[in-house]
Amino acid sequence: MASVKLTNVKKIYGKDTVAVQEFNLDIADKEFIVFVGPSGCGKSTTLRMIAGLEEISEGTVEIDGVVVNDLQPRDRDIAMVFQNYALYPHLSVFENMAFPLRLKKVPQDEVYERVTNAAEILGITEYLTRKPRALSGGQRQRVAIGRAMVRDSKVFLMDEPLSNLDAKLRNQMRAEIIMLRKKIDTTFIYVTHDQTEAMTLGDRIVIMKDGFIQQIGTPTQVFDMPDNLFVAEFIGAPKMNTFKTKLVCEDGKYYVTPYGAKIEVTGDKANQLAKRSIKSREIVLGVRPEHITLAKQGDPDAIGCTIQVNEMMGSELHLHVLVDSGDKLIVRIPTVSLTDAERSKLVYGEKMYITFEGKVMHFFDPATEKNLLS
Amino acid sequence: MKNNNSLEKHGLSIKAVNRITNTFIYIFLIVMSIFWLAPFVGIVLESLRVETTGQVNYFWPKEFGFDNYIRLFNSSFPKWFLNTLLMGVVVSVLQTGFILSMSYTLSRLRFKGRKGLMNLMLILGMFPGFLTMILIYKVFADIGLTENMAPLGLIIVYCASSGMGYYVSKGFFDTIPKSLDEAARVDGATRWQVFYKVIMPLAKPIIIYTVLMGFMAPWGDYMLARFLINNNDAGTNVAVGMYKWIKGTGDTLYQNYTMFCAAGVVVSVPVTIVFMSLQKYYVEGVTGGAVKG
Repeated sequence: MASVKLTNVKKIYGKDTVAVQEFNLDIADKEFIVFVGPSGCGKSTTLRMIAGLEEISEGTVEIDGVVVNDLQPRDRDIAMVFQNYALYPHLSVFENMAFPLRLKKVPQDEVYERVTNAAEILGITEYLTRKPRALSGGQRQRVAIGRAMVRDSKVFLMDEPLSNLDAKLRNQMRAEIIMLRKKIDTTFIYVTHDQTEAMTLGDRIVIMKDGFIQQIGTPTQVFDMPDNLFVAEFIGAPKMNTFKTKLVCEDGKYYVTPYGAKIEVTGDKANQLAKRSIKSREIVLGVRPEHITLAKQGDPDAIGCTIQVNEMMGSELHLHVLVDSGDKLIVRIPTVSLTDAERSKLVYGEKMYITFEGKVMHFFDPATEKNLLS
Repeated sequence: MKNNNSLEKHGLSIKAVNRITNTFIYIFLIVMSIFWLAPFVGIVLESLRVETTGQVNYFWPKEFGFDNYIRLFNSSFPKWFLNTLLMGVVVSVLQTGFILSMSYTLSRLRFKGRKGLMNLMLILGMFPGFLTMILIYKVFADIGLTENMAPLGLIIVYCASSGMGYYVSKGFFDTIPKSLDEAARVDGATRWQVFYKVIMPLAKPIIIYTVLMGFMAPWGDYMLARFLINNNDAGTNVAVGMYKWIKGTGDTLYQNYTMFCAAGVVVSVPVTIVFMSLQKYYVEGVTGGAVKG
């Protein structure tokens, strides 16, 4: 249990390959932080710098107020779970989990107790005598988590622990990590490229791209108020639709004018635009697929489009549509609200009309790609 | 199914085809083993021959006995044998240490000049060792590491450049995932603990290989040993010593030939024991299940 503080952390490989820069982050005690971003964004490098497996080129990393830049991994009191499990193949599951305790010369009784406790929590008691090669992927990952658990370390680091598992197992392990977190109640830093994992696990999410932090916030914050276009498109699945259009201010009301339609901005978004006295201008509009609704032909806010792909997800339909002007949008429609007659029309090649929810649109500056309201 | 049908058309079931193939394979292997074993059996028989001490033109001994072995152990041979055994053991231990630490370092640590060092050693390794033999003799003669001190001198020579043989074991270490080292370091291990608690147990096959190679080099060496030992009996190893018995074609050869064969059998014993006892580790792969495959 400890706080972690990163100040101006920078990582340079070789002479001038910058992997991470201007990384500033305060992680509170017992917080669950998730680093998320596409591959090569520097998230794993940052984690490895906290672990001590990579040298920190500039800046400082503090654990519990102590600068750990020059400490060896073993002196940082951290536990880490690796993407590829990194189990010791010559040792049994029990000895794998006991390994860190044996190095610390913990008495035999205590080793036994802590390992069996952890095995109980993770449901791997029956495998304790097996070698890692006799385990399935999910079981191996549990052992890896168990090995990190038994140590009662200050910080628990996880480097894409679920990305080697199949989809079903990944969902199951994700739920287990949420439960595990309640049981071991320590500071977690979790790295993933999967936005679903980030959203479901994190107290706060750090979204990274090209070595820079793009936004830090709770899942709700980054979803509802993305700081920039990258975050907007990265968080949420299917991804947010973004396209250039105009924001028009008329008689104190705001409208967007995508593809010849005129849609009023309403609710809190309209208030905030007014509060910042934003004038009519070019913008990049962001609309999430679930915030697109069906409209009637001839309505002023209706946008005509043609269905290109129809993905039936069960509870909802994902439609890839081609707007008359040539842009592609993704529309997500809950099937529960559709009649059979309506549904039968939502197929390839059919023409349909859509509109956007006025209170949940996102406005970005085309040049800086920043959110106009953040 | 299609295959099966076409075979049946020719009147042969898969079983029959397999049996015929196996028969040919076995015949071939049996013939090969006869070729390989014949010299060894010949030497064993020769060593048990009692009726003469020289070479004869027939294979099967007329009289069997251990006379040659008795003569052998009453000669200087036990002394030579001990010299060689001592060199073999010391060299295999030291050389294994050198090679493993060298190759682990080159596989895991990144430091300035690493690439250059590796290339340099690779190029140096391409020159045959005997190019330096005369120089080594000169230097060692000056500092007194020849004649009866030759075993020590030989140990130094065998070990000195052994680090350059890092290539095979470095290749092996490279196949052990780096994340195992990292996991162990996070788990609280020092670099040394990582090496001997995690990497060594996984590197068994390559350790065995290195030990065997380290043992074999001094065990059978003649050329360099002959130089350093000169004609000193106290410092002689088996190869140099045994050669003295069959030098020339006259009386020496006639008197010593069967004893020479007996010595050959005795010399092969330690190597056989070492190989037999270590071979199961030699082929055993132990890295399964470490990381996602």
